[in-house]
Amino acid sequence: MQFYSLRTRIKVVLESVSVFLFLSGVASATDISSGKFGFESQIKPFFKRYCIECHGPEKSKGKITLHSLDGDLAAGQESKRWELILDALEHEDMPPEGEENQPSASDRAATVKWIESGLRDYVKKASKLPVATTTRRLTNFEYQNTMRDLLGFELELSKNLPVDPDRPYHFHNTAELMMIGPDQLVRYKEAARKAMASAIVDPEKPEVHQTITKWEHGQPAKNGLTQAEIGVYHGPGVGRKTVGLKSWPKTGEFRIRVKASGNFPPGFQEVALRLVMGTDLRHDSGSGIYQEVGIVHLTNTPDNPEEFELRGRIENIPVQPASKHRNKIRPPSITITAQNIFDNGELNDHRKSGFDDSWSGKAPRVILELIEFEAPVIDVWPPEHHMRILFESPLRGTKTDEYAYEVIKGFMTRAFRRPVDREEVDHYFQIYKIYDAELDTLEQAMRETLAMVLISPQFLYHTVIDQPAATKLYELASRLSYFLWGSMPDQKLFDLAASGELNDLAILEVQTRRLLADNRANSFVENFSTQWLSIAKMKTVNINHDLFPRFLYTVHLGERRGQEQLFRPSIRDYMHEETVGFVSELIRNNASVMNIIDSNFAYLNEPLAVHYGVSGVQGLKLRAVPIKLEYHLGGLLTQGAVLVGNSTGSAPHPIYRAVWLREAILGDEVKPPPAEVPALSDSAGDSADDATSIKNLLELHRNKESCYDCHVRLDPWGIPFERYSAIGKYQPLVPKDKVRVRGFNHQKDKTFADYQAYLRSIYTEEVDASSRLPHGPAVDGMMKLKKYLLKERKDEIVENVVRRFMTYAIGRELTYRDRFEIKKLLKLAEDDGYKLQNIIVLVCQSPIFTGTKS
Amino acid sequence: MEQKSWHINRREFIRGGGAALALPFLQGMSWGKAAVGQALPKRMIVSYIAYGVYEPKIKDGLHHDWNWWPCKDSGPLTFNQSAAPFALLKDSVSYLRGLDHAGGLEMGGHSSGDVFATGANMSGTEKSNNISVDQLAAKVNGHKTRYASLVLGTEGGTGAYGSAKTLSHYGPGRPIPSMHRPQEIFNRLFNPYAGKGIEQVRANLKREASVLDLMMEDSKRLQSRLGKEDQQKVEEYLDSIRALEKRVERTSQWTHQPLLNVDTKGLNLEVSHKDPEEYTRCMYDLLYLAFQTDSTRFATLMLESEHSSGSEMWNYANYVLGYKGATHDIAHKRPTESGKWDNWRAKQHAYFLERLRNTPEGDSNMLDQTVVIWGSAHPHASHSTKNYPIQVAGGNALGFKHGNLHSFEGDKKVPLANLFVAMLNAVDTPTEKFADSTGEMTEIV
Repeated sequence: MQFYSLRTRIKVVLESVSVFLFLSGVASATDISSGKFGFESQIKPFFKRYCIECHGPEKSKGKITLHSLDGDLAAGQESKRWELILDALEHEDMPPEGEENQPSASDRAATVKWIESGLRDYVKKASKLPVATTTRRLTNFEYQNTMRDLLGFELELSKNLPVDPDRPYHFHNTAELMMIGPDQLVRYKEAARKAMASAIVDPEKPEVHQTITKWEHGQPAKNGLTQAEIGVYHGPGVGRKTVGLKSWPKTGEFRIRVKASGNFPPGFQEVALRLVMGTDLRHDSGSGIYQEVGIVHLTNTPDNPEEFELRGRIENIPVQPASKHRNKIRPPSITITAQNIFDNGELNDHRKSGFDDSWSGKAPRVILELIEFEAPVIDVWPPEHHMRILFESPLRGTKTDEYAYEVIKGFMTRAFRRPVDREEVDHYFQIYKIYDAELDTLEQAMRETLAMVLISPQFLYHTVIDQPAATKLYELASRLSYFLWGSMPDQKLFDLAASGELNDLAILEVQTRRLLADNRANSFVENFSTQWLSIAKMKTVNINHDLFPRFLYTVHLGERRGQEQLFRPSIRDYMHEETVGFVSELIRNNASVMNIIDSNFAYLNEPLAVHYGVSGVQGLKLRAVPIKLEYHLGGLLTQGAVLVGNSTGSAPHPIYRAVWLREAILGDEVKPPPAEVPALSDSAGDSADDATSIKNLLELHRNKESCYDCHVRLDPWGIPFERYSAIGKYQPLVPKDKVRVRGFNHQKDKTFADYQAYLRSIYTEEVDASSRLPHGPAVDGMMKLKKYLLKERKDEIVENVVRRFMTYAIGRELTYRDRFEIKKLLKLAEDDGYKLQNIIVLVCQSPIFTGTKS
Repeated sequence: MEQKSWHINRREFIRGGGAALALPFLQGMSWGKAAVGQALPKRMIVSYIAYGVYEPKIKDGLHHDWNWWPCKDSGPLTFNQSAAPFALLKDSVSYLRGLDHAGGLEMGGHSSGDVFATGANMSGTEKSNNISVDQLAAKVNGHKTRYASLVLGTEGGTGAYGSAKTLSHYGPGRPIPSMHRPQEIFNRLFNPYAGKGIEQVRANLKREASVLDLMMEDSKRLQSRLGKEDQQKVEEYLDSIRALEKRVERTSQWTHQPLLNVDTKGLNLEVSHKDPEEYTRCMYDLLYLAFQTDSTRFATLMLESEHSSGSEMWNYANYVLGYKGATHDIAHKRPTESGKWDNWRAKQHAYFLERLRNTPEGDSNMLDQTVVIWGSAHPHASHSTKNYPIQVAGGNALGFKHGNLHSFEGDKKVPLANLFVAMLNAVDTPTEKFADSTGEMTEIV
């Protein structure tokens, strides 16, 4: 113990030394002369003494060797390797802890300095060389958003596109992995034609389709409810009202008007009405072929019914295909389902025993008196999105070719996100002429022509034109909008690019904050956080329903095991929103980055609050909730999305959680176990049977030599999470060794309370959540871990967040060449209190982002 | 919605690879009989099963009965309970033990399926996947049939890095989406014009060719205005346009050949994944029909894909065996569960092999003209990526010799790609090296 605390102190001292060196540039007494001489005389002997044994000709742990380096950093051949060595030495990861042969603090600092300054010289020299690929295609997320903003309405278009390259803890937009093949192009073409079929309408006003259904609030129905009342939704056939559409158009916007209010038993003030459209949920066995139209949070009472309007596009709504049943043909159908999705966190039970019809009386009800469906909406005809493309012009009708030329040019300018030149337009005009010769109307020919614009490389790729800077500011405008909106620039950004004002860093800052304040930034935060924190897998972890009968709302019959259905939003949907909303909140409030480790608020709605044991939160809308110590919440580390995603579904998984912490928070790259490594239980051999806690199992695993090197640096990070269960609840007690927990059992447990009582009776032992962190102190549990991270790991955590934002923003991995710009940025962030929104501004102003580096 | 442009034909023909042009080989489409003087088709299939097979360390008793490997030692085949469905096919199957792709070693068992048919070194020197063995054959011989290749899977699409839903790739970064809906597969194969008149189809194709020309021109101009590194990126796009141009040409050529009238009798094209046996057999039947009509000669079939928790595949073991857990989990179980699951898979595959064998072709049968790989890059429960389970069947008339279990373990170790080289050469695709191959496998050819 003494030994380790001593080392911690050395580390602190050393850090202040190197910061001092970095800031002041004052030469220390141990400066090593630069270049070849310094390498031969001091660096090489240093490597030989401390590194070569494991990273040399004999062994090459981690596939890193040092003996072959020639010390010529200026050549730039080995810069990547040098940066790895620099990081390992600077962060004191190497030589590994426990290795007795350690360099002195001053030797280490001098070596770090020598590498760093050599690298810096090279980067300076290399800044004239071409950088890595910047051209990349739009991600599916960007494609979908761009089409929305280009066309002016939202069509689901990315579903059939091949998925983006997806690696845990990496962003989907890495340029070198974003490839296009012929099949992709074919699918882009299909999507483009679908989009143009909707965007350009035929001139004549279409027929309007209507379906109107009413319910009497006075008339009694089953279970003591009235005909207009909807009780709690808890299954495909219960607690919902449906309307089958009589008819509908193929394309166009639809409008649904509902007249609704809430019936609130004492203590309730809010109930959520959700409308979904598609197949009838009763017939559908759970493949989820319906689309949410919207959620209305009702607070008005029956004596004060209100009208609400929801809109959508009919093209996005799945149609139940025609079917033949006992020689009767059922035509294709679309059903609107209205649901009461009230959820107080107690309804979840896939066995249906936790709730029954009596719930409908106790919980708030939706009173739905009217559903009126209408499509297409023709308040103005042709619709605005059509006029945007085929605009009014005196040319139309008389000089068709000239008009067509202007139409194509206008569309291309927006689609290419920059001014277009004559030759570009000419190409597409020629394409138009080919279609025009064979198709009857301007609309038809234009649909085909503009669809081709939408599969052009100028539209599908982010490009940086190499020639004079005419397009530079447009490219910057796009980089900004794709970073913060995942979409094309708006008119304001185009104007600033045109006027040259975007060049001004102060204006860039104003724009960054404007974009962040816009609703479109929500999808950025969601897309970014989901990939940064790798939380998508949370939704596919197979939850053990026997152990956690009340966690998920799933429906029994014909369902996929372990996966909740879209009958109703589930707690995992809310957990996702919790994490995304939490990050949004930090950005909105310009709060310190360190809130991701610990915060004084959580972002919750009622089901989440009940799950975490927080009282006093009502309704389904998520919001910031102040927290108390006894909730054991705060920061990202204790959020369900993280804890559930990194569990087995039955038990916590300290290795997953450790990997998550190191990758997502500390910014380390954790290598996957090599092939042929025996599984955890197998490695422990027969003794695995006796090791009931995973901590014991890990100890056995670590004792194998082949596993030791990695796990000794991994496991300790996961152990402090052990008091949080597989479903992300604080759970300080576990059963005694060798006691098997049985699942919820209808014979033994009449009610859920009985099962809880049983669990309490066997959960008697304190969870052991103590471990000694690599290069750090012993910590017991989450609080201590957070304290340590806040105090000792601030630099790494902030650097990681900055690097994540930057990587996401520019669509490529950062290299050693970006190292010194990042360091500069970190210094500015530190002086500013690590404010998150300001960090995003700094990222956008950085030469790495603006492309003004050389 | 009206379908006017080249798109309609693209949709129907997109399965074709970037094949060289040649005059269509027509007469081969006569059901099972080669025209006089015409060489019989030489075919190849790669099929894949996921989540590992039962391969216990202990080789006796129950462990032996349910071992995926049909017998203990190398030499003439005997069939245990797991492999029993192949007993009647003894002279048409071989088992090859100890083969794998070095390129898949570091990917982890759940991801190495990505490179099963490619052998690409994705986690090492190659940033993305590379051309698959079927596509290489299609490149050389695909022009002989209406479709250069057929790419099937149970989940459809391409999947993502490390969780591919297809076995086939044109080349780096160009996965070919697999098709998984029986009705769609049938239509694309046998009703490619969607009821349109041949003249209209041709007119559309012609128009498309001109449009693609202009797209090409404009894209090249853009390319010239980009930095060096970025030019390469756009080259990918240009390649894709070129491939589409070739397809248009190819499709036009084939419009001069009459379509075969294949009816759907005996096919349940509406079958659901909830009935895995019906579904799997339907996929095998479609593949059989495609071969029988000589619509294509090269195919991949991803019978199961890894990372399938989002699909019904996840429940196959439950639907088939009543196993109370995910398909993934059954591989972690001991002899009977895991073995019965393997046995079910074996039954389906044997069904297909027998169908081919029972269809006469030339002097022998279709199986003798078709070499079939069946296996996995995810050997067993430990998520190892070494020593794949590999069965090779058919192709007797192409030179394959069967009836034995061959061991390539220890100092006999060779890359799995050596087998690919042998297969490629057997289907008239002269090949010296494929992926990490070190030569041509001679043991079974």
